[in-house]
Amino acid sequence: MNIPQDLKYTKTHEWIKIEGNKVRVGITDFAQHEITDVVHVELPENGKIVKKAAPAVVVESVKSAFDIYSPVSGKIVEINENLMSSPELINQSPYENGWLFVVEFTNNGEFSDLLSADDYKKII
Amino acid sequence: MDYTSQNQKDKQEMLKVLGISNAEELFDVVPENLKAKELNISGGQSEQELLNTFKNLASKNKPLISFRGAGIYDHYIPSLVGEITGRSEFWTAYTPYQAEASQGTLQAIFEYQSMISALTAMDTSNASLYDGASAAAEAAMLALRATGKNKILVSPALHPEYLQTIKTYLENSKAKIAMLNLSVNGNIEKGMVLAALDDDTAAVIIQSPNYLGVIEDMDALSAASKESNSLFVAVVNPISLGFFKAPGEYGADIVAGEGQILGCPMSFGGATFGFMAVKKALEWKMPGRIVGQTVDKDGKRGFVLTLQSREQHIRRERATSNICTNAALNALAGCVYLSGWGNDGLKKLAQTNISKARYAFNKIKAIEGFKSKFEHSVFFNEFVIETKKDIKKINKALVKNGFLPPLDLSYFGGQFKNCLLFCVTEQRTKAEIDKLIEILAKV
Amino acid sequence: MEKLLNEISSECKAAFNVNCDVESDLNIPQNYKRNADLGLPCVAENDLLRHFTNLSRKNYALSTTFYPLGSCTMKYNPLINEKIAGFDGFNCIHPSQPAETIQGALELIHNLEKDLCEVSGMDYFSLQPAAGAQGEFAGLLIIAKYFKSIKQKRTKIIVPDSAHGTNPASAAYAGFEIMPLKSESDGSLSAQKVKELLTPEVAAIMLTVPNTLGVFEKEISEIAKASHENGTLLYYDGANLNALMGMVRPGDLGFDVIHINLHKTFSTPHGGGGPGAGPVGVKAFLEHFLPVPRVENKNSKFVLNYKKSKSIGKVRAFFGNFPVLVKAYAYIKALGAKGLKNASVQAVLNANYMLAKFKDKINVPAGSRCMHEFVLSPKSVLQNGVRTVDIAKRLLDYGYYAPTVYFPLIVEEAIMIEPTETESKETLDKFVETLNKIILDEAVNEPHKVKDAPVNTPVKRLNEVEAARKPILKWSG
Repeated sequence: MNIPQDLKYTKTHEWIKIEGNKVRVGITDFAQHEITDVVHVELPENGKIVKKAAPAVVVESVKSAFDIYSPVSGKIVEINENLMSSPELINQSPYENGWLFVVEFTNNGEFSDLLSADDYKKII
Repeated sequence: MDYTSQNQKDKQEMLKVLGISNAEELFDVVPENLKAKELNISGGQSEQELLNTFKNLASKNKPLISFRGAGIYDHYIPSLVGEITGRSEFWTAYTPYQAEASQGTLQAIFEYQSMISALTAMDTSNASLYDGASAAAEAAMLALRATGKNKILVSPALHPEYLQTIKTYLENSKAKIAMLNLSVNGNIEKGMVLAALDDDTAAVIIQSPNYLGVIEDMDALSAASKESNSLFVAVVNPISLGFFKAPGEYGADIVAGEGQILGCPMSFGGATFGFMAVKKALEWKMPGRIVGQTVDKDGKRGFVLTLQSREQHIRRERATSNICTNAALNALAGCVYLSGWGNDGLKKLAQTNISKARYAFNKIKAIEGFKSKFEHSVFFNEFVIETKKDIKKINKALVKNGFLPPLDLSYFGGQFKNCLLFCVTEQRTKAEIDKLIEILAKV
Repeated sequence: MEKLLNEISSECKAAFNVNCDVESDLNIPQNYKRNADLGLPCVAENDLLRHFTNLSRKNYALSTTFYPLGSCTMKYNPLINEKIAGFDGFNCIHPSQPAETIQGALELIHNLEKDLCEVSGMDYFSLQPAAGAQGEFAGLLIIAKYFKSIKQKRTKIIVPDSAHGTNPASAAYAGFEIMPLKSESDGSLSAQKVKELLTPEVAAIMLTVPNTLGVFEKEISEIAKASHENGTLLYYDGANLNALMGMVRPGDLGFDVIHINLHKTFSTPHGGGGPGAGPVGVKAFLEHFLPVPRVENKNSKFVLNYKKSKSIGKVRAFFGNFPVLVKAYAYIKALGAKGLKNASVQAVLNANYMLAKFKDKINVPAGSRCMHEFVLSPKSVLQNGVRTVDIAKRLLDYGYYAPTVYFPLIVEEAIMIEPTETESKETLDKFVETLNKIILDEAVNEPHKVKDAPVNTPVKRLNEVEAARKPILKWSG
């Protein structure tokens, strides 16, 4: 299972890459494997205000739909529009081309409960 | 007669396997005080007896030569339609969950979706809904969901039962319904839409031809609704689209309607189908089943239920709708019906409706005591006539002659007190129309 | 491969034709006319007949094979009912005809409502809802309106995790919030757990009896009592009523609102996905809230009454899926009280007989007795990466339609079997033998055969992932 060292993780299987005052969010290799073939992604609109641990995205397989939670509170400033026509990017490249959205966060105190790669490895 | 297949010997063997002497022992888990007393339900009739019972019941209904529409219409149903929907491989199948064993139903639905999309000039059709009224309500729900807004603007010339259904669907939600005004010409004017629109308007719902038979200026109304980014919902008569402008041409976002006229009998207003088509952007938010094309493991074309993660069996309380069973067999009738007419045929069918209705209209308004209510409006196969004569007498005379009279619109509002809504489809012959004129003139 | 209509379309003349025997000028302004191509296929009648007949032959149907689809009650659809529903007196009447010309239709509706009340132990029915889910929706709106009328703010509905997806979806559609109720490991519900959820905001609890594992809820009386004491109403999902006719009445169990699927229990055909009918029934105190119009008997004449100020209104136009109602009523008149009871008893006997032949070989989470259906969980015996979906597909190769699979969600690799009362012992024996062979023999010894299934169907296993990823939802040339 691929778990890059330079990323942070949540217990609900999102990965987080901190980019200045923003974070980029996607789902882990483990998560994409469990979800199986992703067929559709319901992305939030740009500018939407999201709350930490509240559903922000729905990732759908043929027979299931999964909530993906925002790891931090803030404003959505970028979404991965490629996923609209190519949802399979999440399976093929969960950490690169399959990213979901970028949030401009309001409170970096919320980072304290994010997991390191090693900690995340222990829970899966 | 209970249609079970076991003889006594089989039953005994089955009971023996279970180690019991009477099948009712299997209900021992039910506490005695919860068990039913003998039901008071008559029956036990043989097939012959059933025929007589129901012939007798049916004889208490009187099929009439119809000059009434108002939501359910008397159109000719070609023999091919019944031949196909009467094939037990179609009517005794279940929803096509096992795609490989349901290619007949699935391909037919795919063909249906293709034809509804083409007819409405929209991107995507679903596999059918219950009926026109619930399709209109689902369209309202879809618009609210897709826009996140809270208000629906509705034409007062939308079929009253559709309006009532939309109200019921929205009854326990926070959404509001606002009614537009009707012009003296029996239509909705662009200015009325512009005046009523606000930023919280999710959709404008307009029926054309409307309940009063009038064709709306859908180009103008659709353009008006876009002024505040509201969705434009068109409720349409599918046969009229053989001649009149298609929803996709005037920029409709959602199209909904009643499919009964596409090959389903009137049958007291039931077991018809509703249709819905949308722009591509709304595809994943649409209610109901959808069939898609794919390939099997050898690369051969086949069809499956798709976009299923919208639906209740997967998303449960967050599904795009609660609909499960729809109206597949009636949609199959629609599929056969549309394919049998084809392009030129459907156009001719629409024109014949217009011609016959126009013929009757000209004759009726020429009778003394009758005049056209909306003289300058364009209509398809329904029109409103105002009369000075006693409507009760008119009805009585027509029923006596085996005719279903036009609909008395007095309940529709004060301005329609002496008005009748006529419908003339291709089913009505010149002789029948002339007879109608003769009776009306005599009342 | 059957071509699509557009692919056999040519410049021929259309199958159907109409002649116009009047002359009048159309005189329609140009800007009202259609410019877009109609885009319909053009096919001769002879070729259309072949096209659709050939399509029909690609379906497995109840008229060609056993259809052990759990929760769907695929029982024999009596042919006489189709014939009756096709009578001109039923088929060729308009919904707004004068009452004196539709007395037969109104009488039928009135009498069917009465018989459904008797079977279910409810006081009043409306036949308007078009399907089970719409019956649920109507029932929940009735519940919402009732609480509004007595000025109680109740916003939540308890739904077990084993429930049909329509239950939570209908409740949400009706504006309620869902409180999930966790089932016990055998699929049953614990009265204690229900009690813990019963707060003053709970409007209703939705249950199906027997539950989706085919088991009669042992604690139903206690659940009903606790709910009613809390002012909470009980909703009955009638999907499984085929287990109970003449033996148990939901109304007697304490249910206040119920819907019935006529296309399940009352033998009307499913039509490849509809039309069905989902009448909604209530106890007397909820009568005023039923959809309009109501059919009433006044001085031995039947009339339609629209003047019901407390009614939820309408969930669709007119009176319901009338031909479906005609067929269901014909079914009831064929069976009568005795036949209905016998049908349910036989349905339960058939299911138990089958279960007995599986239970020592394949895990049955709900135990060795069931009502009209049962759920197998073959997970522990499946090997070589074979899954339930493969078993289902392999059954198609043997000419059977597959049981319901992966439902209820609480059972892993679930296979849900409902034989109904109209299947013979011979059919049941052969099916049991085949399913046991697939799970216990083929899946172990020849797993590729199962994983590659089906091979005897018009197409092999279809790619559902690509269908959803790159949707092709219509013919596009």
